[in-house]
Amino acid sequence: MEATFLLTLLITFLASFIGYELISKIPQTLHTPLMSGSNAISGVTLIAAILIYPEVGESQVLKIIVLTAIAFATLNIVGGFSVTGRILEMFKKND
Amino acid sequence: MIEIILLVSSVLFIFALKLFGRPSTAHRANTFAMLAMALAVFSAFNFDFSNYDSAFYITIIVSGLLGVLISKRVQMTQMPELVGLFNGFGGGASGAIAYVELSKSTLPLSDYFVAIFSMVIGMFTFSGSIIAVLKLRGKLNNVNTTIANIFSAFLPPLILLPAIWESEILSLEYFMLLSLIAGIIRVAVIGGADMPVVIAFLNSLSGIAAMSAGFIVNSIILIIAGALVGASGIILTLLMCAAMNRTLLDVLKGGFGSKSINNEYDKDPISTSPEDVAIQLSYAESVIIVPGYGMAVAQAQSAVKELTNTLKDKNIEVKFAIHPVAGRMPGHMNVLLAEVDIDYEDMYTLEDINSEFSSTDVVIVLGANDVVNPLARTDEDSPIYGMPILDVDLAKQVIVIKRSMSPGYAGIANPLFINDNAKMLFADAKEGLEKIIKSFELV
Repeated sequence: MEATFLLTLLITFLASFIGYELISKIPQTLHTPLMSGSNAISGVTLIAAILIYPEVGESQVLKIIVLTAIAFATLNIVGGFSVTGRILEMFKKND
Repeated sequence: MIEIILLVSSVLFIFALKLFGRPSTAHRANTFAMLAMALAVFSAFNFDFSNYDSAFYITIIVSGLLGVLISKRVQMTQMPELVGLFNGFGGGASGAIAYVELSKSTLPLSDYFVAIFSMVIGMFTFSGSIIAVLKLRGKLNNVNTTIANIFSAFLPPLILLPAIWESEILSLEYFMLLSLIAGIIRVAVIGGADMPVVIAFLNSLSGIAAMSAGFIVNSIILIIAGALVGASGIILTLLMCAAMNRTLLDVLKGGFGSKSINNEYDKDPISTSPEDVAIQLSYAESVIIVPGYGMAVAQAQSAVKELTNTLKDKNIEVKFAIHPVAGRMPGHMNVLLAEVDIDYEDMYTLEDINSEFSSTDVVIVLGANDVVNPLARTDEDSPIYGMPILDVDLAKQVIVIKRSMSPGYAGIANPLFINDNAKMLFADAKEGLEKIIKSFELV
C-alpha cells in the first residue's frame, strides 16, 4: 500500500516535470490554443466520473451530481479539442 | 490489456505536448491528444458497458453535441470567455466528483484529505471562473477590495467552526459553500487587464483539481493528464506575472489601478488625420504594429490585415509586436491576427523585437496603452515601474490610434502620447484604420 502511494507520487512528480519542460518551449503565439487544449485535457476527469457512476447507489441527488460532472467534463473534452483544432488550422495555413 | 491502453495514452499525451512546440506541427498535436483522450476514456469502462444506464449515455451525447456547437459558433475575440468557462467546467466536474466520493464516507484517511483538497480547489475554480467570464463580458464591475480583505481575515475561524460543532455531514456542504464564496470574492476584486493572469491561474487549478481526483479514484492517467494541465497553467501564470513585473499574490490581492494617481499631461498631444498618416506611412520602409485589447474590442483585425496588405504591396516591411499581456488571455492577439491570415512569422515577442524599434520608421500603436508606457522604465513611483514594455518611444515616428487621452488599466498618464515623435489619431481602432486605407487610394 505504502509503495503504491509512493509510486503514484513519483509518477505525479515526473509528469509535472515533463509537462513543465515541454510546455516551457511552446511559443507565445500558441498560448491561446495551449489553454483551450488544456481545457480539453482537464476534462479527463470524465474518467473518474465513469469509474464512480456505477457505484453511486440509490441516492438520486448523488447521481445527478455525477451526471453534472459528466456533462461538464464531456463539454470540456469535445468543445476544447474542437475549438483548439479550429485555432491550430489557422496557424497551419501559413506553411 | 487496460494497462497497455493507458500506457499508449500517456505516451501520446506527452508526445502531443512535444508537437505543440511549433506552429507548423501543432495541429497534429491536437489529433494525438484527442486519440490519447479517447483511449483513456475508453479504458475507464474496462470493456464493460452494461453498468451504465440511458441517463449516462444521453448526458454524454447531449453535452458532446453542445460542445461541438459552442466551439463552432464562438468568435476568436470571445476565446477568453470560452477558456474561462471551460476552466470552470473542469474545476466543477472534479469538485463534484470529490464531493460524491466524500459523501460515501468509506474513504481511507489519506484519500479523505485529498478529496477535501480536490473539492475545495474544484469549487473555487468553478465559482471563480464564472465570475471571470462575467467580468470579461463586462457584466460585472470591480468589487471593493475591503470585502475581500474582511473575508480573508475571517476565513481561519470560519474553517475551524465545524470542528467546534462536531457535525461531520454538515461540514462537507459547509466547506463546499466556503470554497464557492472564496472563488467569487477572490476573482471579483481583480480588474479586467489582470485577466490573463486570472485565466491562466484558474486553468492551472482545474488541472490540479483533476489530478487530485485521480488520487481518489486511483487513476494514473487522470493524475498524469491533470498534472500536465496544472503545469501548463502555472507556466502561463508565471509568464504573465513576469510580463507585468508583479507577483501572483499581488495580482490576486486585486484593486490594481483603482487609485487614480497622476494622469495629467503638461502639454497637448499632436493630433493627426488619416490622410497625414497615409502619407507618413507611404514614405516609410519599415512599420511595426502594436496591437492591444482595443483592437479586439473594436473588431479591427480585418482592417489590420487590409492595411498590412496595402503596405506590403508598396514593399514596406510590416511586423507585429505583441506584448505577453496584450488582450485578455495569453496569446489572445496572436490568435486574432492568425484568424485574418496574418503570418505567424511576422508576429514578434517583446524580447525579439525591442531592439528593432529604434531603427523602425513608423510604429502604429493600436489600442494598447500601459504596455508601451515609458514610465515603466523611468518613474520609480509609478505602479507599472519595472514592467517590461515595448520600447515604442524609441522609434523614429509613432502613431497612436486611440479614441481619447484616457489612461489605461494602470490609471496613469502615458508620456508616449505627448512625445515629440508621436502623433495621435483620435478614432476607434477599426474606423481609424479604414480611413487610413481609404486615404491611401488618394495618395
